[in-house]
Amino acid sequence: MIQLRNVSKIYPNGARALVDVNLKIDKGEFVFLVGPSGAGKSTLIKLFYRDETPTRGQVQINGKNLVRMKEREVPYLRRSIGVIFQDFKLLPNKTVQENVAFALEVIGVSRKEVRTRTSNMLELVGLAGKENAFPTELSGGEQQRVCVARAIINNPALLVADEPTGNLDPETAWGIMDLLFNINKRGTTVVMATHARAIVNKMQKRVIAIENGRVARDEEMGGYGYDV
Amino acid sequence: MTFNFPRYILRETGHSMKRNPWLSIASVLTVMVSLIILGFSIFFLANATNVAQSFESQLEIAAFVKDDATADQVQTLQSRIQGMTGVSSVTIVTKEQALANFGKTMGGSQSNLVTDLGGTNPFPDKLTIKATNPQDVENLASAIQALPEIDIVRYGQGYVDKLLQFTKWLRWIGFGVVGAFTVASVVLISINVKMNVFSKRREIQIMKLVGASNGFIRWPFLIEGLTLGLLGGGLAALTVGMGYNWITMYVQSTLTFLPVVRNIVLFRQVLGGLLLAGMAMGAVGSGVSLQKFLHS
Ligand SMILES: Nc1ncnc2c1ncn2[C@@H]1O[C@H](COP(=O)(O)OP(=O)(O)OP(=O)(O)O)[C@@H](O)[C@H]1O
Ligand SMILES: [Mg+2]
Repeated sequence: MIQLRNVSKIYPNGARALVDVNLKIDKGEFVFLVGPSGAGKSTLIKLFYRDETPTRGQVQINGKNLVRMKEREVPYLRRSIGVIFQDFKLLPNKTVQENVAFALEVIGVSRKEVRTRTSNMLELVGLAGKENAFPTELSGGEQQRVCVARAIINNPALLVADEPTGNLDPETAWGIMDLLFNINKRGTTVVMATHARAIVNKMQKRVIAIENGRVARDEEMGGYGYDV
Repeated sequence: MTFNFPRYILRETGHSMKRNPWLSIASVLTVMVSLIILGFSIFFLANATNVAQSFESQLEIAAFVKDDATADQVQTLQSRIQGMTGVSSVTIVTKEQALANFGKTMGGSQSNLVTDLGGTNPFPDKLTIKATNPQDVENLASAIQALPEIDIVRYGQGYVDKLLQFTKWLRWIGFGVVGAFTVASVVLISINVKMNVFSKRREIQIMKLVGASNGFIRWPFLIEGLTLGLLGGGLAALTVGMGYNWITMYVQSTLTFLPVVRNIVLFRQVLGGLLLAGMAMGAVGSGVSLQKFLHS
């Protein structure tokens, strides 16, 4: 599903975010990305949906080489990947309902289907009743759940989540984890960057630790590590 | 039922304008004000040209025929001058007509007039020549002067030059004003459109990250730009139309000596042009500035 070969990423300002990363994630896996702040987790995730391209090395998603990918193919790649952004990236002039619906509209789902699927999804993430609110009218956790809903609504083959529980109380956080877990059970590959020790330790999934832009640890059924 | 893209575009356009009302109003006003100024400047040019033309059309050459020429000879002379290049019309004022005209201005009766003037008609036959191009008046005059049957030629020597200088300047000022305001309104409107698109760059970026194709993002923007431009252009056309109509009626009734252009065809063309210009600049401007953000 995901394969990185000798990937390095140096930002234009000279920041070395990733150094010679080799990584393989199979279809259907559930992977936690852990590591200190600034380690390069978000950068790694951004390579998957081609928000960033590597300075060196190759990135392959679903057999497609993202480095050589043409610009007009990028939208199709992104439609097969659900992204829960660390900063949500909600459309400010669209309501909750419209933000979630947008992911379906770009793939050309009919109006009627969009309506039923978005209202089901909003119910699922606990946002029923907030359909017509604008993002600025929501709490951080609510905005995050809108982002989650938009990311998973079209059953993507790959779901990448950058701290999807960062702004949530433990109970809501577990609710979101249940969602991701269920989606994973239905066949979606999930890669989740997180600082949530309790969640990582409890789930007992593959854990990849990034430190200073390098893969420092990669274990099946791992724990969060970095114990105090 | 499948996804209805045109309907999506219209909904998006509507939402966008409704949810950024101040941005929309500012855009419409920018287009409107720029095009109002442009519209009036075009009518200014039309009137400047018109005034210049009406001055120039008064320029004519008067060629007085030698006394011994017969009526036939005068006829031949007329067709000969008519045949010269640059001549638009030649009319004959016979000595009898000249005398009659003179009599009319004097208010006396004709029979007395001839006796009063010493028993003979002192007026020569005269040819009045108009040039197609007022610049040619001087050359034509000397060519006509060279004809053997012609006695003297008058064409307002010395004054023609000054008049032509004046009309030339009048035209240049007209064109200059239109040119300056065209540039100004294009710059103003395109800055406005750029700012509009720029204020939405984050939205565009998000849409791309969620998998929207460039076309999917572009169309609502184009239609919004087109609609705002159309509104601005429409309001400008309305204002210029009513304003010009009012001004020219006022001028016609008070400054009767000033020729004003009230040409319905020109009127329609200018107003239609403003409407189209608003629409085109809105749509094309949005498209061009959007392109930059789509490919970044
Ligand atoms: N757009 C950018 N331009 C320049 N440098 C960047 C950019 N994005 C990230 N960096 C740098 O790259 C490094 C890795 O950043 P990244 O966002 O990947 O860290 P992270 O592991 O996601 O951290 P966090 O846990 O705080 O989210 C950091 O040193 C950061 O300053
Ligand atoms: Mg991060």
